[in-house]
Amino acid sequence: MSEELFKEMAQSIIDGDSDISTELAKKSIELNIHPLEAITKGFVVGVTYIGDQFGLGEAFLPELVMAGEAMKSAIAVLEPELLKLGEAREMMGKVVLATVEGDIHEIGKTLVGTMLSASGFEVVDLGVDQSADKIIGKALEINADIIGMSALLTTTMVRQREVIEELDKEGLRPRIKVMVGGAPITQDWVKKIKADGYSEDAIGAVKIAKELVGKE
Amino acid sequence: MAQLKFLSDDEVKGMHNATLRILNEVGYVWTHKPSLEILTGAGCKIKGNRVYFPPELVEDSIKKAGKKVSIRGRGGVTKNLGDGNLYFHNLGGARDIYDAKTGGHRIAQMQDVRDATRLLDALENCHTITPFFTPQDVPGELMSLAMYRHALPFTTKPLQGPGVQFGPETKYAVRMAEVIGDPKEVLTLALSPVSPLTIPDHEAEAVIEIAKAGISFGALPCPTAGATSPMTISGSIAQQNAETLAVVILAQLVNPGLPIVYCGRLAMMEPRTGASVWGGVELALASAGTVQLGHSYGFAVNVYGFSTNAHTIDAQDGFERGLNAAIPALAGADELSGIGEMEAGVMGSYAQMVLDNELAYSVLRLRKGFSADEEALGVDMIARIMDGSRNFLGQKHTMKYLKAGEVQLTKFAERSSWEAWERNGKQGMVDHAIDAAEKILREHEVTPLEPQQEKELDDIMSAAEKELVKKR
Repeated sequence: MSEELFKEMAQSIIDGDSDISTELAKKSIELNIHPLEAITKGFVVGVTYIGDQFGLGEAFLPELVMAGEAMKSAIAVLEPELLKLGEAREMMGKVVLATVEGDIHEIGKTLVGTMLSASGFEVVDLGVDQSADKIIGKALEINADIIGMSALLTTTMVRQREVIEELDKEGLRPRIKVMVGGAPITQDWVKKIKADGYSEDAIGAVKIAKELVGKE
Repeated sequence: MAQLKFLSDDEVKGMHNATLRILNEVGYVWTHKPSLEILTGAGCKIKGNRVYFPPELVEDSIKKAGKKVSIRGRGGVTKNLGDGNLYFHNLGGARDIYDAKTGGHRIAQMQDVRDATRLLDALENCHTITPFFTPQDVPGELMSLAMYRHALPFTTKPLQGPGVQFGPETKYAVRMAEVIGDPKEVLTLALSPVSPLTIPDHEAEAVIEIAKAGISFGALPCPTAGATSPMTISGSIAQQNAETLAVVILAQLVNPGLPIVYCGRLAMMEPRTGASVWGGVELALASAGTVQLGHSYGFAVNVYGFSTNAHTIDAQDGFERGLNAAIPALAGADELSGIGEMEAGVMGSYAQMVLDNELAYSVLRLRKGFSADEEALGVDMIARIMDGSRNFLGQKHTMKYLKAGEVQLTKFAERSSWEAWERNGKQGMVDHAIDAAEKILREHEVTPLEPQQEKELDDIMSAAEKELVKKR
């Protein structure tokens, strides 16, 4: 019986339906299914499927976003239940995300955050136009494993290098890993500024993040 | 010649009404206090971080806005947008440069800004020039100004200003323009609001500076359909319209009658990756729709144009840019951008610039159409030759229409026999373009600036560096 429910949970993610994923999450609580089971056997299966399909060029970016939102809704119901049981999801790691100073573009970054959360990372998204101090400050405050920075403009991407240089100056690497992304970012740039990871899309970003925290 | 219309007049009106609703009911994210004061003084309302524009103000600003835009080069030639002709200019702001000979690419440097400008100066169908590359060997804060400064010496054609984002940057651009003439006559400036419906404080400040200086202004919203604007082309054009009109309204309040170029830069999102699609034919549809809407207001309209996602000069490149230029041209565009563009605007190429100059002839030929009056029909002449030579080769009528351009005389297109083509080394269109580009770069000279002018520009750049580049 739970098998049927787990299938429906995965489907609600694939369909990107937050209403249904919320409903199914609540139903699983009523049926005394362990929240972690609901997450790992139900909803995460859907996230993984959509991610794989996207990687194959078979699923679309809007579907990815909707799947992420549906996952968020389900987690919002299930996480409090986990805490009540005195348990928690196995956290992959802590990530601070930001769009660099002088840049206010954030769609890609937000999607990366959604996908990382859906995959078990604890994400603090600072938003746009964030100075190096703010980014590094937050990373130290929450003891982050990864800093992820986004830039859309050729005029602002140089800020990514500045943050890395500051981290190195303070001796905070390799304890904190740095991922960068954004439309003008290339592998050459990533090598040049000695970032630890880069992906062209949000699904790849999750993979890289897992590798950086040694969980892949 | 009848213009290509994808929208009925009612649909254009519907888009305008949708825009009015967006501006009046949805609002615009706007926090820059000085410009908000100007807007509220004219009847706009503020709620939270959004400003709302009453329809009367929108209509009034459209009416008031200057519709005649002209730009003069230091060589004396003036281009008047909206005079019924189609003008072309190049892509502005590419990061990379493509080498058509080797098929490789590299990051553009300042020298490429100079070379591109000089090359475009030699191309007949590049009517105005925009600084081409965003050189990576210059601090970010100075990039736009450096692009303009280093383009100025290498053309005498009308040179558009770079895209600006900041008030102080705008002031320096105007000062540089002063070196070659009255900025109101020799400079145009463009600025991109952020989609959807957002203007950062520093950009609002830049709009005020542009208007104060009386510089002809083009707002360049760059929404991506499905990501930062609706998935539908029509919804995106309406949003793009709202994004444009909001800053036009501010500009008109600061300087009533400021000349405006109505621009569109809408592209679709590639749904499988999130990238921008500049090569798909939806760009042609979006551009054509934008032309119709802009024309309904009486503005001269600037859209793309030569546009592709390709990384090489190949069939995809030719096909995509051909359609994307021809369609809006036939819809009546006043200005088309894209000369030299590749890879969704990330990359530029000298061979592509030369090729686009050639393709532009074909686009212009399409736009010219063909005459069907009595003389063109030539029935009397047909009768005459049937009684005589039975062919049209020796006829004055034939030469007259030949000279008037009835058949376009292409330079690079391959039209010979296989044998002749083989004898000539199997050169194709791209090979010819590569050779021509190299020749132009080797030989073309531009009247230099006076030493005094060069010094003034250098002084302005130094001052800009002192003020704008943060000590880090």
